[in-house]
Amino acid sequence: MSERGLRIAGLRAGVDGNEILKGIDLDVEPGSVHALMGPNGSGKSTLAFAMAGHPSYQIQSGTVTLDGTDLTTLAPEKRARTGLFLSFQYPAAIPGVSVANFIRTARQAVHPDDLTPSKFRAAIFEQLDVLDMDPAFLSRYVNDGFSGGEKKRLEMLQLAMLKPKYAILDETDSGLDVDALRAVGNSVRALREAEAGKDIGFLIITHYPRILQHITADRVHVMMDGRIVLSGGPELANRIEREGYDTIREEVAASAG
Amino acid sequence: MPGSSATAVRGVSKLSLDAFLERFGEGSICAQDRYDALARYEELPVRTTIRGGRGWKRDLAKLDLSAVEPFAATAGYEPLRDALSPAALAAGVTIERFSHARRQHRAAFEAAFGRALDTREDKFASLALAFQNQGAFIDVPAGVSLDEPLTSALEPDGAAVFSYTLVALGEGARATVVERIAADGATPFVGAITEIVLADRAKLVYLVDQRAGAETTLVSTRRAVLGAGASLDIGFAELGGAHVVSRFRATAAANGARTGVVVVFFSDGDQHVDVETETVHAAPNTTSETIVRSAGIGHGQGRYLGNIKILAAAHGADAALRDDALLLSDGAHIDSVPALEIAANDVKAFHGATVGAISEDELFYAESRGIARTDAERMIALGFFEPAVARFGLAELRDELRSALEAKIGATAEFARR
Repeated sequence: MSERGLRIAGLRAGVDGNEILKGIDLDVEPGSVHALMGPNGSGKSTLAFAMAGHPSYQIQSGTVTLDGTDLTTLAPEKRARTGLFLSFQYPAAIPGVSVANFIRTARQAVHPDDLTPSKFRAAIFEQLDVLDMDPAFLSRYVNDGFSGGEKKRLEMLQLAMLKPKYAILDETDSGLDVDALRAVGNSVRALREAEAGKDIGFLIITHYPRILQHITADRVHVMMDGRIVLSGGPELANRIEREGYDTIREEVAASAG
Repeated sequence: MPGSSATAVRGVSKLSLDAFLERFGEGSICAQDRYDALARYEELPVRTTIRGGRGWKRDLAKLDLSAVEPFAATAGYEPLRDALSPAALAAGVTIERFSHARRQHRAAFEAAFGRALDTREDKFASLALAFQNQGAFIDVPAGVSLDEPLTSALEPDGAAVFSYTLVALGEGARATVVERIAADGATPFVGAITEIVLADRAKLVYLVDQRAGAETTLVSTRRAVLGAGASLDIGFAELGGAHVVSRFRATAAANGARTGVVVVFFSDGDQHVDVETETVHAAPNTTSETIVRSAGIGHGQGRYLGNIKILAAAHGADAALRDDALLLSDGAHIDSVPALEIAANDVKAFHGATVGAISEDELFYAESRGIARTDAERMIALGFFEPAVARFGLAELRDELRSALEAKIGATAEFARR
């Protein structure tokens, strides 16, 4: 099954004609965890939005394939139905639409008729428990008036309920307190330990390494100025924790010069 | 009408009022008052709703009633079937056809009639009074709490409908009333008057469910007056009609009265919906909250004018008004005109208004979850109304309104691509 994987090949993309991603190559294998790290403004979130099909981001060249299906020309909802999930850094509020209704509609869109209402209900309550969330959460409006931690918990709830093949977590740790971060970590771990979730490939986009204390990365990539400049094992995250990005930046500059 | 020899009377004139009185008699409005009201209708100018040079396609100044039957030649109005439970009857609750109310419940009727509304101030209220032939009188005596909702339903009969709904709650009484204007394609014109009189500490939930036919012009005048500590929650769902002009004013006349106003309208096709609400704070420590959600699709037009008026005596008043409009097509247009008039010092007043399209961020968020764009638009648009719909204090009606709103979105199925 050489085709399996979330494969980014030679991806160039930007906003309003400004190229931000200058040729990205990255393969996320099923069941693996890749961390994409880098300073602010390096293009990490652009990569996430371009992959998910945000209309403001144009792909100039290159491909993103999911288990062999080219996503780059698909509408966002088709990408989701193919098996891609994006956990947003800043999830949008949808006033008047309840969390339960939203997730039920999304689940029905990506996995039509695969759960009876009672099984859906049982599944969502189980996930609420993993995420340490009150069931009253389900009747609130999507992200409307949510705290930062509540928003990220809702992203994780959707991840668990939509069961994608690959998930991009864009700055899921930003703005979280310790408890919320632990809840997010527990959720991802529970998902990966479950039979249905063990093959999900993760691309975890983060500025700070602290989320990687809760979710161990198989591979760590460092992005700067729209390019992946360094890849390595989990120890690379520890180095960034100790040294920040400056020494890496200097090395890259030296080797380029 | 089959089997009828009666000739239809057309237009609103002294001649047609003569015919009306011959057909129905005075009812609760004496003949002289009806002739006076007709004269005022003819004299009073149309209060124009055109602002800033924008030409509305539909305008009351262009309203031509000359071909309209002011009453159905063959219609007969039976007394309202008594929808009251034995307990409500035993407690002395009244629901009566308005036309019979003065005769059958004179003391209660006269104690309430005209307390909240002076029809002389308004051209179309005067017209409705002159030809009043439908509507109800509802009276809930002091101290009576009524759990079952009461309904005042207009009965379309192919002719114009002129209705008067008078609701009076005694001290500490509590009730829920639905005013229903049902769909009927043949009704050309509805002129509606509603008068609500709440004694001290009375609590009323009053819900207007307007789903008239697509050819109907409606002009409604509604007034409420609240005693000390009284509470009114009034909801307007103005979903039907071709041209809707709906005007409401609540006057918090005594200390601590509270008014909650919710308005929902959704102009589609060539519909034009024009809603005005005013909450008058005339006494200390009175509060009001107004929430308006409107949308336009197709070439629908709408206007909301919301006024908060705080008189000098109303120290400690607290008023809030929130008006949000959603445009679902490039051809739709909604104006939002919130206004504050404040003559007292130590008051709190807030108003805010927005008009906009569905945000691309919300759409993308839903699409990224696998939800197709049109489904996402429908979901977001319905959700937009939800905070207002949720305030309609009757579960069955909330569900009906959600279905009606969804049908409007679906029927047009034309979202502008931006």
